[in-house]
Amino acid sequence: MTKGPLVLGIDTGGTYTDGVLLDYRSREILAAHKSLTTKRDFSLGIEEVIRQIEIEDPDAIRMVSISTTLATNAIAEGKGKRVALLLIGYDPELIESFSLDKRFATPEYHYFNGGHDLYGKEKQPLDLPAILAKVNEIKDQVDALAVSSYFSPLNPEHEQRTLNAIEKICDLPVVLGHQLSTRLGSVERATTAALNASLLAVLQDFIVAVRQAMERRKIEAPLMVVRGDGTLMSDEFAARTPVETIHSGPAASAIGGRFLSGLDDALVIDIGGTTTDFALIKGGRVTISEEGATVGAYKTSVKAADLLSIGIGGDSHIRTDHEGHYLIGPGRVVPLSYLAHKHESVFQRIKALSKRTWEQSSPDWLEYWFLLREPAESHLKLSARQAGLIELLRHGPLPVPEIIRKLQVLHISQLGTDELFRQEILGRAGLTPTDLLHTDGRFVRWSAEAAEFALQSLCRYQFEEPEVIRDRIWKLMSESILRTTLSFLTRLPELEQANSDENFGEWFFLNSLYAMHPDLATSLNLRIPIIGIGAPAGLLLKDIADKLHSELVLPDHYHVANAVGAVGGSVMVEEEILVYPVFSEAGLDVIAYRVQSKTDSDEIEDLEEALMLARETAAERSLSAAIRSGADQPQVTLSVENDGIDSYRVRARAMGNPRLMR
Amino acid sequence: MTTNVQYLEDMPMDLIRIDTRKAYENIHKKITRLELAPGSVLNDQALAEEIGLELKTVREALSLLAHDGLVTFSEQGMYVSEINLAELEQLSELRLQLETFSARLAARRGSPDDLAVLEALRSEQASIAPDEMERLFDLDHKFHQAIAAASGNRHLARALEQLFGQSQRLWYLVLPELDFLPEAVETHLSLLQAINARDGDQAASIMHAHVKGFYDKVKTILSADDR
Repeated sequence: MTKGPLVLGIDTGGTYTDGVLLDYRSREILAAHKSLTTKRDFSLGIEEVIRQIEIEDPDAIRMVSISTTLATNAIAEGKGKRVALLLIGYDPELIESFSLDKRFATPEYHYFNGGHDLYGKEKQPLDLPAILAKVNEIKDQVDALAVSSYFSPLNPEHEQRTLNAIEKICDLPVVLGHQLSTRLGSVERATTAALNASLLAVLQDFIVAVRQAMERRKIEAPLMVVRGDGTLMSDEFAARTPVETIHSGPAASAIGGRFLSGLDDALVIDIGGTTTDFALIKGGRVTISEEGATVGAYKTSVKAADLLSIGIGGDSHIRTDHEGHYLIGPGRVVPLSYLAHKHESVFQRIKALSKRTWEQSSPDWLEYWFLLREPAESHLKLSARQAGLIELLRHGPLPVPEIIRKLQVLHISQLGTDELFRQEILGRAGLTPTDLLHTDGRFVRWSAEAAEFALQSLCRYQFEEPEVIRDRIWKLMSESILRTTLSFLTRLPELEQANSDENFGEWFFLNSLYAMHPDLATSLNLRIPIIGIGAPAGLLLKDIADKLHSELVLPDHYHVANAVGAVGGSVMVEEEILVYPVFSEAGLDVIAYRVQSKTDSDEIEDLEEALMLARETAAERSLSAAIRSGADQPQVTLSVENDGIDSYRVRARAMGNPRLMR
Repeated sequence: MTTNVQYLEDMPMDLIRIDTRKAYENIHKKITRLELAPGSVLNDQALAEEIGLELKTVREALSLLAHDGLVTFSEQGMYVSEINLAELEQLSELRLQLETFSARLAARRGSPDDLAVLEALRSEQASIAPDEMERLFDLDHKFHQAIAAASGNRHLARALEQLFGQSQRLWYLVLPELDFLPEAVETHLSLLQAINARDGDQAASIMHAHVKGFYDKVKTILSADDR
């Protein structure tokens, strides 16, 4: 049977790396595979996926496309490179009085004279000597520089002159704010530039690693990277604008859900191992957040899919607080059923634990630590206790109370293990929703027996029956997902769990779920279907769809929808040009219009002519960049947006399917 | 009626694939630092393994280096371009002319931004201890590049860039017997003063003596080696 062009989609998520091989024309999925994400070197997990897919003819593959949480995770975990942010024309007092400096995403920022005003006029001369002196002073302590000048989208001259000068005195990569965003928000632009600078090396290494994995598997095809809004960019483009990959994973899963289901309007809920993500499909497209993506504490000006994420997934850690209430997440652990499946010693310990008396079976015994890999000597200086712990765990995973006893410490915090977990030297296992699914037989892949023993131990400690505990946990998870659904759709802050006798919102919510009132029924009606994505979706979302009186759609291959989404997007390049008036010296008359693109500017007397030039330039540039990025016969759409008196934003968007020819 | 401001200078390296760029920078460094000796045979496969990049990528990088004149392709294979006295003669007479011209133009046309760059490089150079040879050399190189950029003639700057690439190896060759870098700090100061004063003749003559001094020393050392 002859196939059309094949494409390979890969998604590297927080827990799993998924891959699918797809016939691009018929949309038929030929092979799919899931493997564990290897955070210390993503290319290992990626190569494993490619290997498992068993590609017969690598030559038939015409595109590889990849979505990744790399950027998002690097920001959240503070693993980006060190960046110095040079702020030109920013008012330090203003910034500091609103504590905006906390949002710059780097502790190393410096203020300089210069910048423009909102008419694009020079506010102050650029203090280049001061900038160069500072760069000389700090250049050995940082890995990259970011430059943001006041109102640079209107007039990037100071940023550009700064770049030209810095490039002549040092070899650090330099990122300019106006190249990343034409929005005028100066703090967001600075943050975006700083984040982009800190991610440059991270994403470049990643792309080089993926290419190597491809070449080792004899795949010679263009590599695309998914943006946060679900569109595709070429790998070279991504290497320069890594910040645009923020949220690319969840965007890909929403697009994959739409691709597989064929639905044009739906709520997409993706339950992964670590998080549950929400996105909305309207008219066949993922909705975009115009105001810019937020990652961790940082507000950026990067356009990305409008989405919400909560730290609840199949592998979320189930614990109890001091009053015996159950807690789920946000931490992710390895399910006990899996650990016991891998280690006989763990199975035996869990089995023995289930026979113990109440006093001897605190829930701590259900948390195991284990050694993932030996620490690289050069990387980390180990304390004596850390070394002792690693030595101890070399013989197999151990529950926390046993570790405490053997190492003779009073509390686990004395072991200084945070860094060991972060570097993936140690792993952590515990009771998870995945285990509970093993105990009621709904999802059995590893040791159901161990899961059963673990649940029994918890039952003994909590004086509750297994059904009751399972019920509690499912209820807790679905309530939490429902609360987030409501807040995602309404844009209202999430309902605080309050006393439902006093709080109407909370009462209404619970009454709609559990019909508490004898006479008054309330209900929630979601008017669009829910597309379920991710391995646990089929098991957990039915109840949620019922509560919302909506339909749950689980497309074929929904467990790898994100990898499908990685190839489902279009190649897109956007070019924005600003047109705004230039005033006479006296400041009263408009003498010309400035046509400002990211790279150059013109002044033209007549507004119509200026707009015409802007339209032509934007269209031409976006088109040629899209072709260069691998789009097949891209189409350009133009929009002109009024942006204040006599000011215009001309936006050209060139979009096309990926080119799959040789 | 229209004024056009072109901000971006050409950055051809930007259009080259990132892994090729990595390989290029890596091998370039090995050649200029003489870790790959002039005249030695290049084994692309061994290089690919050593750098940890694909063979195809390394070959692309090598052809870029051939374009720079650092690698020579022949029937027999690839090797690092030779340095010999005849070659040096040709290199030095051209560089002497172009750099002198470059200094003259920089004095005439250098913008305030160009002068700020030169001043930043000079003061950085002055603050570095005389035994930090590599850093001093790096700054010396950047200073000459910055003057070429200040000349305002793009083609001149590009032609000089290739000559600089060739000269870097000479510097490493004579490194063990070098004592004039600290004195270059003085020369750069007077050169910068001449450029600041817009004195093209003075700038040209300082540059001429500066470059000639360098090549004379290299020549002495190379001919001593030949004997």
